[in-house]
This record gives sequence, structure tokens and C-alpha cells, in this order.
Amino acid sequence: MYSREVEALLSKKGIAPGDAIRVSIGSKKFEGTLLPRPEFGDQGVLVLKLKNGYNVGLKLGAGSKIEKLEHAKESFAFPRVKLEKRENLPDVAIVATGGTIESKVDYMTGGVHMLVEPEELLAQVPEILDIANFKLVSPMRIASEDMLYQDWQSIARATAKALSDSHGVIITHGTDTMHYTAAALSFMLNGINGPVVLTGAQRSGDRGSSDAYMNLLCAAHLAAKGNVAEVGVCMHASSSDNYCNFIRGTKVRKMHTTKRDAFRPINGTPIARIDAGGNIEYMGEHRRVQNGKEKLRVESGYEPKVALVKFYPNSDPEIVDFYIGKRYKGIIIEGTGMGHVAVSPSDERYSWLGHIKRAVDAGVVVGMTSQTLNGRVNANVYRNLRLISGAGAIYCEDMLPEVALVKLGWLLGNHKRAEAAKMLNRNIAGEITERTEVDWF
Amino acid sequence: MDYEKLGFMCGLEIHQRLATEHKLFCSCDALLPDDISIAEIDRRQRAVAGELGRVDLSAAFETMRGRKFVYNVFRNTSCLVEVDEEPPHELNAEALFAALQMGASFGCWVPAEFEPMRKEVVDGSDPSAFQRTLLVGHGGHLDFDGRQIGISSIFLEEESSGIEHSDNRLVIYNVDRLAIPLVEIDTEPEIREPEEAKEVARRIGLVLRLTGKVQRGIGSIRQDVNVSIREGARVEIKGFQELETMDKIIENEVRRQVSLIEIKKELQKRDARVHPPLDATALFGETKVKILRKALEDVSGAVMASRLQGYGGLLGREVNPGRRLGSEISDYAKLAGAGGIIHSDEDLGAYGFQKEELDELRRMLGMKENDAFIIVAGDREMCGGALAFANARAQQAALGVPNETRGVNSQMLITTFLRPLPGGARMYPETDVRPIPLDREMHEKASKQAVDVGKVVRMLGGEIKNKQLEEQMLWSPYLGLFTRIVDETGAPGGVVAPVLLDKMTQMRRAGKNVDAIGDEAMLKIFGEYTKGRITKTAIEEILKQTPRDAKAVEKAIKTGRLERIRGKALEKLAKESKGEGRDEKIREIMSRHRLNVDGDELSGLVK
Repeated sequence: MYSREVEALLSKKGIAPGDAIRVSIGSKKFEGTLLPRPEFGDQGVLVLKLKNGYNVGLKLGAGSKIEKLEHAKESFAFPRVKLEKRENLPDVAIVATGGTIESKVDYMTGGVHMLVEPEELLAQVPEILDIANFKLVSPMRIASEDMLYQDWQSIARATAKALSDSHGVIITHGTDTMHYTAAALSFMLNGINGPVVLTGAQRSGDRGSSDAYMNLLCAAHLAAKGNVAEVGVCMHASSSDNYCNFIRGTKVRKMHTTKRDAFRPINGTPIARIDAGGNIEYMGEHRRVQNGKEKLRVESGYEPKVALVKFYPNSDPEIVDFYIGKRYKGIIIEGTGMGHVAVSPSDERYSWLGHIKRAVDAGVVVGMTSQTLNGRVNANVYRNLRLISGAGAIYCEDMLPEVALVKLGWLLGNHKRAEAAKMLNRNIAGEITERTEVDWF
Repeated sequence: MDYEKLGFMCGLEIHQRLATEHKLFCSCDALLPDDISIAEIDRRQRAVAGELGRVDLSAAFETMRGRKFVYNVFRNTSCLVEVDEEPPHELNAEALFAALQMGASFGCWVPAEFEPMRKEVVDGSDPSAFQRTLLVGHGGHLDFDGRQIGISSIFLEEESSGIEHSDNRLVIYNVDRLAIPLVEIDTEPEIREPEEAKEVARRIGLVLRLTGKVQRGIGSIRQDVNVSIREGARVEIKGFQELETMDKIIENEVRRQVSLIEIKKELQKRDARVHPPLDATALFGETKVKILRKALEDVSGAVMASRLQGYGGLLGREVNPGRRLGSEISDYAKLAGAGGIIHSDEDLGAYGFQKEELDELRRMLGMKENDAFIIVAGDREMCGGALAFANARAQQAALGVPNETRGVNSQMLITTFLRPLPGGARMYPETDVRPIPLDREMHEKASKQAVDVGKVVRMLGGEIKNKQLEEQMLWSPYLGLFTRIVDETGAPGGVVAPVLLDKMTQMRRAGKNVDAIGDEAMLKIFGEYTKGRITKTAIEEILKQTPRDAKAVEKAIKTGRLERIRGKALEKLAKESKGEGRDEKIREIMSRHRLNVDGDELSGLVK
């Protein structure tokens, strides 16, 4: 929105963004298209797109003139592909949830729009139509940082439904919390019999260099013909456009803010690598597509009163009491090293031991993970570790802290407390491995 | 040629790299030091689907070629921003200041707010597939030869990557150069003849250099020339190696357009048409034509041909020295990987064609009198692509001059085809950075430093007092340094100018690495000279050591015992001299202390 003065002037002249106008400032004249005001900066500065394509900011002053030349032409339309069912191609469903991969810039105004039709989303990579027949459902269109557990539940239901008549499912998703959703789906979808492939983009699709194209193509190949019945993330394996990794949904983490190969396997290897030409190389152990179709069960219960708490030097253990007071059912602690929190510091107010014990006594399930992310926690090596586990904290093996959080919420949402506590450090969906291979780090 | 009658239109785009410490939108080193390559990144790019169904021929062309791009990444001169792995940082204020100073030098109007844009780039030279650019000035002018040449716009933008290797499948780029701040100055198409284009380019280059904010050396300034004539088409000529031959090259481009217009008229008269390519492989199973035989050795080898109805005799028509319409068509075929084309206006006997196989070919293509054919041989898929391009170019010949981006052949002094001219590059806002309000204080300061060429000419006159040296200094890359030395040390321009202009050239010719001499070293040398610590003759002696900085100068003075002998010490020397008579005394002292004694001072002392 422009400033009140400018808006008033524009409406008096019957001018709206998109109209061709002429602005005279002193002896200088500018002709172009009036653009909407960006959110930032001086709201009194008009932004005009000149005929040479450049935008300029113009400040009207005394003696400036503005006139309308032409009414706005038809609004901007994104290109679309035509979807036609082809008999010899497998069926793939796309569950579109939002994120960068589904947003597109209006080249005229610079405004970011969500691609709402499958024909628009797939138009980014028209050759994808040679891979599969696509159908698209969209339970929500949101940035991934806005996701709530209720969204995981609806994605889980939409995915389960889509899997009933597709070989595989692609879930397009914002990248920030993609690994949380991947973990949630790994637990919620029990007995899937096809690939469930989350993908997204680190660079927006308005540019010819976007990673969205290869990510979509690789995800499509995997969802169309992958012999893998797991939930995972399919994104660039390196900064190059060579191939994507498909990484198990419980062993994947976004490890970089901006790079296209931000998603890395932690305490594991990728399940497969896929190139844009459709070559799939299976690398790690994984669940294959079964002949007799196992019944897919959706266990989408979730207890949101679970918290992830990070320990650090001088961190105040009263945070645990806060959650007890708020009637939380579970706490995952991100400890240091093999799973430490302060036990006997010189100032005993900083000892977490009593607080953990109090939480466990109050019926809160307390799990211990490590902020090193890589490696396994251990409750035995040092005396302090033994004290913490003795207080009732459950050591979660090589499970990622975020995965432990999602798992605990899911366990408490579907099981009684005692059972949830028992299951926390037992593998359900590949989140815990018994052995750590030497080249995983 | 009568350029006015031809409807000659010509404008310039001058691209000048700025000498800022950092790149335009990140803190990488922008002064191109020697750097270590630390990674190689492979990327594919695609032309982003156009809005309103408009197909950009240039973009489609590049997508069709499907080339792979590899980027060499360097330690100090590139970071994640260059390789499109991190959003841009803040706009480089040093670069903006320099651009504003340049804008002020041409009397440009400045926007109240700068809107950074993304300009789509389809040739892979930017890993992000767009170039960041902003309009910083508008509607200025250059005083030229008693009139004004309009400066339509000034842009501040990112330099492209350097090309390490390029073929039809792969381009390797170096990203060390990418995103160095670059200023583009566009003139109105008001240049009246080729010679004038050269002079205007020179003049704009001078103004930019006089700001003292530009990089020097090969490639740091580039001139693109837009040329058209009436009934012709706008052609953008890139890659002039030197200004000296610019007029000759423009002249030949005009000749080319004149010839192509004549060809167009003839083709229209003949109602010429281009027919789709046909597979002629079967006709040449037994051929003696070497090129064809070699192509057919491969299992996927093929010979394909197109009938060009009504083109007979015109393919051989010369459009430029040594270049025919056939060569223009061949240029397009080459882009698809063909070695070239064979056409019917050539001496086909020389290739080894037999009359029978040519008759067969003509029959197959359904050729009539006045028709021509073109042949491509090689991999079947390649042949199809090459003939599609070649046919498109042939078809265009009947419509006139194609809009193209053309390069320069410096030996032949002609332009050569590079790619179709992009149809108004797609531009949209760089949403990763905020609009930048004009900083009034910065603008005022930059305006105060606007270049006034007349003033510089007067300053040089006052300082150097030698017409030839003044003119030389005005165009010399040492002008900035000269001004600094004179201003900061108070050294007389008449002493400084010959050292910078003559002595340095002599030493360079003698194989001395004079470019290693730092500005600070120069300032120190002339500072010491002005203070009377060294003599004029010692200056050259110190320069021979190619000192990098002030410290190195100090060392050269000390170790070379170059301190001037003056005053009392010189008097003592004069007294002790065993020479007979005044002249011999002076000679004797000078022979021993040539570098340490000022001749004038000495002759004043010796009685």
C-alpha cells in the first residue's frame, strides 16, 4: 500500500497498480506501469516499471504531475501444462502443502504467488509428464514454519488416501520443517506399500537455476517406479545438478540455511540416489514394495504437550518445572556429548538432576538426545550419565532430537504413558539403528 | 557511404568494471587477485516459461542447445552468493557512490529509490540465471564536439563469469569475475557515423577513468555497439578488442546489412520458400565426398538436405569480405554442432560429388530452376537440429536482416554471428533485497566529485606546461596517480609527468615489471624528492627496484645510498674536489655522485 497521500492522489485520478501512467517531475517525464508498493521503504515513493524493464522509485513533489495513459491489461497468468491420462504410465499423486517450490514470482510486480493448480506446478518441468500420470491434492498451502501437528495429521490422511490408487506419493513442502513432517509421517503411516517422497526447493522457481526442477523430476521418478516403501526426503545431494538423495524420514535433517544440498542423512546413509534421467541406485537397507498389499493404517494421534529443551552451560533447569506446571506429558532434552546435563556444578541451582527426577515422578516422559546430532547417547560411561538415567531420563540411542520429539508426541497420542516410555528408545520407523557404520560421519 | 541517406542509427553501451574492494552484493574480493580454485559445480539451467505465452527466441535457442554449465569456484573471490546458494547481502555502498559520481558527471537524474532488479540470463554466465542490476541514472548527456549526445541510462550491475572453455555441449565458467560491480552507460542512438562511435566511446571511457573509480587492464571496459540502417535491423555488436578498428567494423556491418536487404528484395521477387529437411543418406552410400563418407562411417551417421526454393545463386552472394549468405546460414548450423553446411552455390566438383548423385538429390528434393539446396552430414540427431537452425536463418533472409547479437572478428574487421538478439530481457524485482532509498548526503558528495573534463585539461596545462605531455597524460592510465602525486606531495607536474609517461614506458620495454610499483611507493618517492631528500636522477634508480610500497622505497634509498648530498656537505665536497677549474670540478663530483647531487645546486656552489 502506498501512503495515504499517494493513495488519495491515485484514486482521484482513477489510477491503480497495473495501469500505464506518465509522471512528470520537473522537466523529466517517466512513462511506465505503476506497480504495487513493496512493503519496505518509503511508502510515499511511487514504483514505476519503465519500458526498458527497470523499476524506479519516484518521489512526487510540488509541481509533479501524474496522468493515466492506459488501463491495466489482463492480469498475469502462469503457464500451465495440459494433463492427459496416458495408459502405459504409473500413477503418482502429489500432495501439495506449500513452500518455496510452489511459489512463483509475478515477473511484472515481483509479487510472490502460490501455484494452486497442478497444471501450473508441473509447467515448471513439462517433461515430468513423461514419467507418470499425476493427480494433485492440496490439504493446505502454507510456509513450513507455520506447520502444526494438525497439518501433519491431514497430510498423513491425504497421503494414505492417495496411496490407495497410486504407486507413490510426492509431497511438496517448505524446506524449513520438512524433516519434522517426514518424521511425523514415518510414524503416522503404518504399513505403506510405496514411496512417500517429500521434496521442495531451496531456490525459488522464478529463476532458471532453481533446484526445484531436478528435485521434482527425481522425486517423480522415485514415486513412479521406486522399489521402496518408506517415507523420505528427496533433495539435491550436492550443489551440482547431478543427482538427488532419498533419505529416510527419521534420519534426515536440514543442515544448512540456504544451500540446495541442505538435507543430510544423520546416523545413516541415503536409501537411494536418483538422477533426473530416472536412474535409481539403492544404497542402504530399506523396506521394499510388498507383493501382498499390507493394510495401510493411519495412526495420526498426537499429543502436542511435548517439548524440546536444549541444555547449555548455565541453562536454568527451572525450564523443566515450567513444563511440569504447564502439564506437559513429555520432554526431550538435547544434552551435550553422550547425553549430559549439569549434575554437580559449583552453584547447585544449575543442577538438572532433581528437576528431571521431579518431572519423571510427576508422570512426564523424559528422553535424552545429544546436540552433537551425530553418534549415540550412552547412559553408562560416566557417573553423571548414570545419575541422569537413574533419575528416569530415557536415553534415546542415535535418534535425532527433533525426531525424538515428534516420536514422543506421537507415542503419547496413541499409547498409554508407560507404554510410550517403553517404546521411546525402541526402533519403530528406522529412527534408531543398532549399529553405527564407520563412514556415516 | 552516405550514412544519413542509409538511415544509420547507432548507440553505445559502455560496460566499465569498478575498482571497489568488494563485489556488488557480497564481501568477496572484487579486485581479481590470483586465486585458488576450490570446487567445481555442475548445473543445468532452463529458460523459465515466459509470461503471456511470449517465446524469447534467444532463450529458446539456448535451451535447445541444452548445454551443461560447469562453474569453477575460487577461495577469496567467490562465496555461496556467487554460486546461487545464498541470498545477496547488502548493496555495496562504495560501488553505488562511484555510479552516482559517474551519473553526476553526465548530468543524470537520480531516482528517489533504487529498485534492484533481476535480469534473466540464458547463456549460463550467471549461476543464478539472472544478473542483478539497478537503474541509477537517467536522461543525462555527453558534451561531444560542440553538441550533446544523450545518455539514456546508467545502470549498476553485476559482472558476468569469465569463460574458461566453451563448446556445443559444455561451457566452463570462472566465477571469480562474477558480480564485480559494473557500470553500464547507454547512449541514445544519436551517433551519426562509425568514426563518431569510436570517438564517443573514447570520450565516455575518459570520463569514467577520470572518476578514479574504475578497474584498468584488459577486459575492464567493454563497448557494445547497436547498429541498424533503414530496412535493416538492430544488431548488437559485442567484444571489441580495441577501439582503434571499431569504425571499420561498424562500416562492414552496415555493408552486410545493405547486402542482406538487396538479397531480401530479390528473394521476395522470386517468392522464395524454405522446405523442411529430408533424409538423403540413402543417396550417398557409395559417395566419394570425403566429408560425407566420414560422417557415414558411424552407425548413427546421416546426410540431410533442405530445398531452398528460389535461393539459387544467392547463397553465393557476398555480404562481407570473404563472407556469403551461405556462410551466414552455416553459422546457425554450427551452433547445433555441425561442422558447417555444403550448399549448391559452391564448387561441388571440388568436394568430389558425382553428377549422378547430385541429380538424384535434386530429384528427391523436387528442385526446379533457381532453387538451391543445403546439406548437413553427421550424427542424425545433430543433422536435424542443424538444419532446423539453418532453415530458420535461410527463411529469415527473405524477411531481411535478422536481429542478432554479433561478435567481432578482429583480423577480418567484420562482425560474426553469436546468437539471436534477446527480445527485451525479462526483468523482475530482486525480492531478496529491499528497495534502497537515495542517501541525499552520499548523492551530494558524489555530485561534488563529478568529473569535468575541461577542468582536468586546464589543471594539466597549469602543471605540466608541455602540450604533448598534457595530451598524453589526459588519456594515460596514470592520470589518477599523477593528480594524487601532485596534490599530495606538491611535486612539480613537469617532473612527475615525464617519469610516469616516458620513464615507466622505457622500463617496461626493458623488461622491468613496473606494474608491481605501488601507488604508495610512487607517493613516497615524489614526497622524498619534494622534501629534497633525493635527486631527480635517483627517482629512476629507485623505480628500477620496482618497490611495492613506501617501506620498499625507504629500503631502496638506504641500501642504494641514494640520499641527496646538499648544503654544507655539498659545499665541503666542492671544496675538497681536486678538479682544475669550475667545469672540471663539477664533472669530477658528478662522476662520483651522479645519483646524490643535484646538478643545479652544485653549479651554484662551485666558484
